[in-house]
Order: sequence, then C-alpha cells, then structure tokens
Amino acid sequence: MSTHAATRTGKKARDYVLMTAAAIVMFAPIYYLLIGSLKPSNKVLNGFAGFIPTDLSFHNYSAVFSALDSGATGYFGQFFINSFLISLVIVLGGLLVNSMAGYAFARLDWRGRDKLFLVVVLLSIVPFESVAVPLMQLMSSYRDSLIGQMLPFIVNPFSVYLFYTFFLDIPKSMEEAARLDGLGPVGTFFRIIVPNSKPAFATVAILTFLTSWGQFLWPSLMTSNPAVRPLPLEIGVFSAQTPPNWGQIFAFGTLLVLPVLVMFLVFQRWFVQSVAGSAIKG
Amino acid sequence: MKSTRTTHRLAACVAVASVALVAGCSTSGSSSSSSASAGSGKGTISIWAHSGQPGENAALEAAVAGFNKSHPTIHANLRLISADTYTTTVTNTPKSQLPDVLEMDGPTVGAFAYNAKLAPLKQFVSASVVSNATAGAIAEGTSNNTLYALPMYDSALGLYANKKMLDAAGVKYPTSTADAWTPAEFLKALQVLAKANKSGKSLDIDESSLNQEWGTYGFSPVIQSAGGNLIQNGKATGVLNSAASIKAMTEFASWKPYVDPNADGNAFQDGRVALSWSGHWEYPVYSKAIGASNLLDLPLPNFGTGSKTGAGSWTWGIGAATKDGSAAGQFLDYLLDDQNVTAMTNADGAPPATKTAFAADKLYQPGGGLALWGQNLQHTCPASAITSTCVAIYRPVTAGYPTITSNFATALAAIFNGADPKTALTNAAKAIDQNFSDNNGYQQ
Amino acid sequence: MTTLMTADGNPRSTKRRSQRRPDTWAGIGMSFPALLGLVLFIAIPFVYAIIFSLQNIQVSQAHPAKFWGLTEYVRLFTNPIDSGPFLRAMLNNFVFAAVVIPVQTGLALALAVLLNRKLKGVKIYRTFFFMPVVFPMALVAVIWRLILDRSSQGLLNSALNAVTFGHVQPHDWLGSSSTALASVILLSIWQGVGFQMIIVLAGLQEIPQERYEAASLDRAGAWQQFIHITVPGIRNTLIFVVLLTTILSFRVYDQVYILINTAGANQNATQTMLFQATNAVFNENDLGQASAISVILFVIVVIITVVQRAVLRQRNES
Repeated sequence: MSTHAATRTGKKARDYVLMTAAAIVMFAPIYYLLIGSLKPSNKVLNGFAGFIPTDLSFHNYSAVFSALDSGATGYFGQFFINSFLISLVIVLGGLLVNSMAGYAFARLDWRGRDKLFLVVVLLSIVPFESVAVPLMQLMSSYRDSLIGQMLPFIVNPFSVYLFYTFFLDIPKSMEEAARLDGLGPVGTFFRIIVPNSKPAFATVAILTFLTSWGQFLWPSLMTSNPAVRPLPLEIGVFSAQTPPNWGQIFAFGTLLVLPVLVMFLVFQRWFVQSVAGSAIKG
Repeated sequence: MKSTRTTHRLAACVAVASVALVAGCSTSGSSSSSSASAGSGKGTISIWAHSGQPGENAALEAAVAGFNKSHPTIHANLRLISADTYTTTVTNTPKSQLPDVLEMDGPTVGAFAYNAKLAPLKQFVSASVVSNATAGAIAEGTSNNTLYALPMYDSALGLYANKKMLDAAGVKYPTSTADAWTPAEFLKALQVLAKANKSGKSLDIDESSLNQEWGTYGFSPVIQSAGGNLIQNGKATGVLNSAASIKAMTEFASWKPYVDPNADGNAFQDGRVALSWSGHWEYPVYSKAIGASNLLDLPLPNFGTGSKTGAGSWTWGIGAATKDGSAAGQFLDYLLDDQNVTAMTNADGAPPATKTAFAADKLYQPGGGLALWGQNLQHTCPASAITSTCVAIYRPVTAGYPTITSNFATALAAIFNGADPKTALTNAAKAIDQNFSDNNGYQQ
Repeated sequence: MTTLMTADGNPRSTKRRSQRRPDTWAGIGMSFPALLGLVLFIAIPFVYAIIFSLQNIQVSQAHPAKFWGLTEYVRLFTNPIDSGPFLRAMLNNFVFAAVVIPVQTGLALALAVLLNRKLKGVKIYRTFFFMPVVFPMALVAVIWRLILDRSSQGLLNSALNAVTFGHVQPHDWLGSSSTALASVILLSIWQGVGFQMIIVLAGLQEIPQERYEAASLDRAGAWQQFIHITVPGIRNTLIFVVLLTTILSFRVYDQVYILINTAGANQNATQTMLFQATNAVFNENDLGQASAISVILFVIVVIITVVQRAVLRQRNES
C-alpha cells in the first residue's frame, strides 16, 4: 500500500515537473513581449538580460499613444474602436448567418443540400489571400469604409462546418417535440436549437474574433483613411523607424493582443469547454 | 455619373462573372489619359504621405498647418499612412480614389505614371519651383519625357565611420571619393577593425532589410561600381549577371563574418562596429551618439569603375483624377519652398532637393558633417546613363522597376545568406527580362 | 408525395424521418445568406483568379490584359526561372505539413494527457499552454524574430551559450538554409499546439473512466492503456485535428512574410506557395502569376483532402 502511494506521489511529482517545464516554454515568449514593452528599446535585444526585469517604465506605452494622436496619423482610440466594431459585426453577423446554414445542412431535408454542402467544404479550402486582389477590384466602391472590411468575412465556410458538425449530434427527439408543437424549421431553430447550442456559438464567436481582430492584408488593400483603419496596420508606424524601436513595437503588440488576452482569461472556462465540445464531433 | 457607375460595379461584376468575361472589372476604372482638371483653386484637397520618422511627420504636419494658415481659401487635409503598406495602398487604389497630392517612393514614379495614376506636374506647379529643383530631382521624377514628381529631399548613401576606432586600430581611410577603398582594402579594414573590437564585428549593413528596397538602393551601387548594372537598354542579362557584377557580389558575401546583425539598430552607436553602410537618415542619430567630430562620412568602396552611390528618395506628385489641380499645385509650391524643405531636412538629415536649400545646407557643404556625400550628389546620373565621372546614381525610371527591385533584392539577400552569386544573379536577370518581354518592355 | 420522392431520385429520402423533402423552402432560405456570401466573396473572386491566371495581366494596369492560356501554369512547372522558386516553395509547404502534422499533434496529445490527470492547479497550466493561441501570427513572428536573432544577443543563442558554458557559438537560425524552415516550424507549433491540445483534451474526457479501471484490473500498464484505450478513444478527434492541420499547413503565410521581409530569413528555404503568390502580386504587380499559384494551391489542397478522406473512410470500413 505504501509503495503504491509512493509511486503515485512520484508520478504526480513527475507530472508537475513536466507541466511546469512546458508552461515555462509556452510562456517565455509572452513574458519576453511583456517585459520588453516596459524596457528602453536598446535593452530589449540584450541576450539573456532581455529577460530580466530592469529599467522598467511605461514610457513605450505613452510613446505609442502619442505617436497616434493627430488627425493625420489617426488616433489610437479610433483605431481600437474601428477594430472592435469590425470584429463585432463580423462575429455577430457570422453567428447568425453561418449557424442558420449549418442547421439547414445538418438537420433539414431539402433538395440540393448535399451538393451545396460539398461546395461549402470546397470553398473553405480557398485561402483569403488568393481572392484578395480580385475581390478588392469587385469591391472598389466599398473602399475606405468600415462595411467593406466587414462584409467579406461575415460568411465563413469553416464556421458553417463547425456549426454543421455540432448540430448533427443534437438528439432528434428535441426537434421532433418542437415540430409537434407546430413550430416550423425556422421557429425550431431559433427557439429550440439556438438556446441549446451555446458551446457551439461561443466557439465560433471566439475563433472568429481571434482572426478578425488580427486582420492585416485586407485593410491594407482597402483603406487609407485613419478614420476607418483598424489597429494592426499601425504596427508599421513603429517597425519602420530607424533604429527599430523594439520597446514601442512590443508595447504596441501588447496593446494589440491585450483585449483578446483579457477576453480569453475571463471566458476561459467556457471557451475551453466549447472549443472542445464542438470540434470533437468533427 | 462616375460614382453611380462605381456603386454598381459590384453588382455588374457579379453579373458578368457568370458569363466568365475577361478582366472587365479590373481595368474598367482606368484609362491612359489624365483626367486632372485645375478647378477653382479653392476648396479642400487631400494629401497622402508615408508615416516616417517622428521628426519627419512633425515637419510635414507643420507644413500643412502653415499652408492652411497662409491659404485661407484652400484646406489641405493630410493623411499619414504607415510606410510598410504605403506603396501597396497606392498601387491598389483606383486612380479615381487617389488624393489630389500624393507622396511616393522615387523609383515607383515610373510605374504610377505608366498606369496613369499621376498628372503631369508642370501644368499645376510654378515654373520657378521646377527650375529650382536639382537635376537629380528632375531626373527621378521624369518618365517618358514628362515631369510627374518633385521631391523635398534627396538621399545620400555611403559609409559612416567612427574615427576614434579607426585610428585606434590603425586603419587608414579615404578622404575623397576618388581615393575610395578597393574591395581588398575594404575587406582588410573589416578584418582589422573586427579583431580590434571585443564584439568581433566591424560593419553594419542593416542586413535584415536587404530583400527590401534598401537592398536595391544600398547595394546596386556595388555592381554599378564594378561596371555592371541592374538593367541596360531594357535588358538585365549581361549586366546584372556580368562577370564584374558576380565578382562584386562575391566580395559582398565575403563580408558577412564581420557584419553585426544589428537587429536592435544600435551597433554603430554602441561601438559594436566601426563602420556603417547607411544613408543620411542615420546622421542625426549617429552624430548625437558618437559626436559629430568623431563621425566620418566615407565613400563606398570602388569595385572597378570608380566609387558609386545611391540617390533618390520620397517625392511628390499630383493624382491623375484631381479636380483641384490648381490648389494641389499651390500646395506643392508651398511645400517645396526653402523654409519647409529646410525644416524637413533638419529633422531627418536629408540633402535638400532644391538648389537654393541645398546650397544653404551646411551639413552637405564643405566643412559640413556630410560634405563628402554632398560632393557626390553634385555628380549624379540616371541608371540608364552611367558615366565614369558620375557618382550618385538614381534607380531606373521604368514601370518595370517593381520587378527589377524585387528580383535584385531577393538575389542580394540570398547571396548574403550563402547562395551562389552567379546562379542567383543569373536567375534574377532572366526573371526581369522575362517580365519585360511579357510587358513589351513597358513601352508607353 | 411518392412522386416527389422519385423525382428527387434520392433513396436517402426514404430513410429519413419523412416521406418527402419537407424542408426545401426552409433549407434554401436558411442557407441562402451564407451561400450568397460564399458566392460573392469567395466563389466569384476565385473565378476571377482563374481567369486572371490565364492572362498576361498586372495589377491596376492601364492597358487591357492579354489572354495567353496556360502559359503561367506551364512556366510554373517547366520554365526554370519560375519553376525553381515555385517548386521549392511547394516543397517547403509539404515539408512544413509533414513535420507539423505529426509533431504538433503528438505534442498536443502529450500535453492533453498531462492535463487530463486529476491534479491540483491543472487549470492554471492549461491557461499557460493555451495562451499563445490568442496571439496573432504576425505578432508571434515579431517576438520570435528577436528570440532567434543570429547575434550572441539573441535570446536562444544567449541561452544555449549559457547552458553549454560557452561551447555553442551563435547560430544564424533564420538565415541558414538548414535551420530556417525548422525555425518557422518551431514558432508555428508554439503558437498552434494549444488549440489542438484543447480539442484532444475534450476527446480524452469523453472516454469513460471504467475502461481504464477495467484495464487496471487486467494489469495493463500505462503504455498499454494508452495504446489500447486512449488512442482508439480519441480516434475521431485525432482525425479532425489532422485534417484541420493539413489545410492550415498549406495556408502558412503571415509568419513567413514577417520573417523574410523584416528579419532577413532565408527566402528560398522558407517561402511558401501563398507567400510567393502575394509576393508576385504585391511586390511585382504580377497578378497573372499570383492567380495561377493560388489556383494550383487550391487544387493541391483539394486533392490532399480527398485522398485523406478516402483513406480514412477505407480504414473505417475495414
């Protein structure tokens, strides 16, 4: 009995050692970003000393805010709000449109369904970079607008696919009861399916937010007006300086990732369960 | 009319796409003639510029504010767009949506003029402003015998040296361009200086940007000095990959052991290297860090036909679809006056691109911190007509420049990372030639 | 009713809950917004990409483009000027996929198995493992560019030097042709492994505990339990992860773009097909070639996906 307990403690200790080692590896670059953002620029790339918290100040952060603080450059707050609005509309619009499609493909019985679903799967393979230039030409009247940055990303074939796989597993009985109560397919979807699919909606929402928050290529093609530009493009203001201002680049990077990081930490539990919950059924 | 058409373009394209019509939507927005009109000389004009160093941005914003104050009937509206996406943004903006006044990198003038994005400048800008522009400035902004752009400042390229470190290591250095190091002397200097420094390095070349425009600007003078060129008479094969070019690039690659990677940008300031292959933009930083009297401006090495160097920088033009050409011209007249040019070049250390401001700029005149480079800028020529007496060479003015620079810079970075110079340069030359022949040599 | 069914010609209708296809209008209506978006924003632009790939065409050119058939495709495969870099980029994509798929999945599985123990503080560890996922790849590349810097001041060089008491000299991780792609792979795995780990972890938690208890009674060792219970238990999850990683492997772009253009990474060794396509169109204005590369990339991924699914289905049936 005691030897059994001993091996169990040994195993536990081994697991903790392994997990701690992995956690250090995973966190080290993030720590480097955070510490670097608080250091003078010439102390960021400084061998192992770049890792040691010395000379810390918020100077880089104030420099980032003051570099983006005029009508010509645009304002940091404005970029932030633009990014947020664009991401928000993409997420909310995407939840509605993609979930309805996922439901139609997974649970409804209609002509042409299987063929159209195959088309959705195929289109999910097309990388956005491949269609960016033709799309830009097609959408030239939407240049320098927020809506031009939202429209192309609301429908997302991968989100449709995630919803599809999730809805496939919903017990038929749930739906049939609703239908017997006289609800049509649309009513069933909104009254029964949606309230019971929170994990799927959370997963898609968070994954969509992650990708739309970091958008770079499309806005660089479609916008020139700081009033509608999103935040990520502005990293060029700091990376194009000579000498490269790593402290400010890291401060900007930290500010850029902060909203997503906070969102992740706050909703972590829900997020982790839901990512898993819906993806696993694929 | 026009706006109605563009509004419905998406719908129209959706319709034509089903018939799989060719490229209809891509080219319908542009035509080859300029539709610029002078307008009333009043109203609001839009201006695009790249977001540069903080000091440059401040000088430009001050110039715009000054213009608005002195021209009450015109309102100039400035947009600063981050430098790394600036050219992409302009390239991909249809000409009808380009601003009245726009900044562009010098060597992109050829492509923008070719694609009808720019209005000829002389109809809107004062003759006195044109005549006060330096010869190089005119050459850089002229495409197909038409002037499309004028700059506030030029650029100067060469070697910065830390005098104390050179003296301490006993390295002799050239004091005139005619006296430039040979490649062997340069390599020897690198070796001696590296040995004398505890960093073990002696040179900074901003290596992480080699495959960008910096690579072409900073190192095409190497092959030009050797007797090669990027392109000659519309052909790269035979000049870009000539024996002389290959030899010069082989020498270039041999410096790598002495090159500080300089990701932090502080190698020269911190004394990790004694030499920096760079341009005027470092002057304010370097002179402050090591002291102006300790900072030398040396010529680039002479690879055979005399030391050559780069020239040309950001320049200003008028959008082809402007409805306020007259107001745009007034803005450029104002921007290119000595006061604004001097304020800008004081901020970034650049050589002014107007004759009067250049003559008055102590930095580039005899006795100034960059006097030798200033001398070089008195001897300029376009890349298409390199002579033995010219030193500062402007990059080729052609709509094919994007292909030239992309292929050369890619080859340069590959060579620096160990690729065979002959193969890399030959492939680059063939790719450039293929692109030129595909596009009929970019003839208008 | 029966006529409707036969008109469909789809025998599956009979197996379903109704005698006909009752949801046709609802199905079309509910999927319409998404299908419209897919057509407008992916299908039509992609058709244009196909058309552009058959033309001699540059970005925003003032003169009309010329149709020249399959010239771009022929060049990409047979003309050394174009095929050299292109085939190398394709190889890089395949190497990337061939390394990342097993290594990242394996690591994700290992981390998930660790987290699946009922240990205290496991959630904190999970947070750390997952955190990189929320970082945009472009930012990840910027951070790692400094970690991998070739000077002795680079974090990795400096750490290796310290650990080996000065025996390991600074290495040019991103510039050297032998380590450049490995470096890209390393940072890509760092960023992506947490996401897969979460998916695998969920799969592990679905395995009934009784199976392990039964195996313990049979005196099966930890390794045997892993092979005979864990792996089969999360088989479908692993398949999903592999399919997803495959598609993503062929879309590698952001990190390569940043590392080549701002960190001097070895372009030949690290460029991917998507990088080449964007480089062609945004640096050289060559819309025709960029479009041809995009079309080839699409075809490759379709083929791989179809083959993968066929293989998996066969295994499922056997």
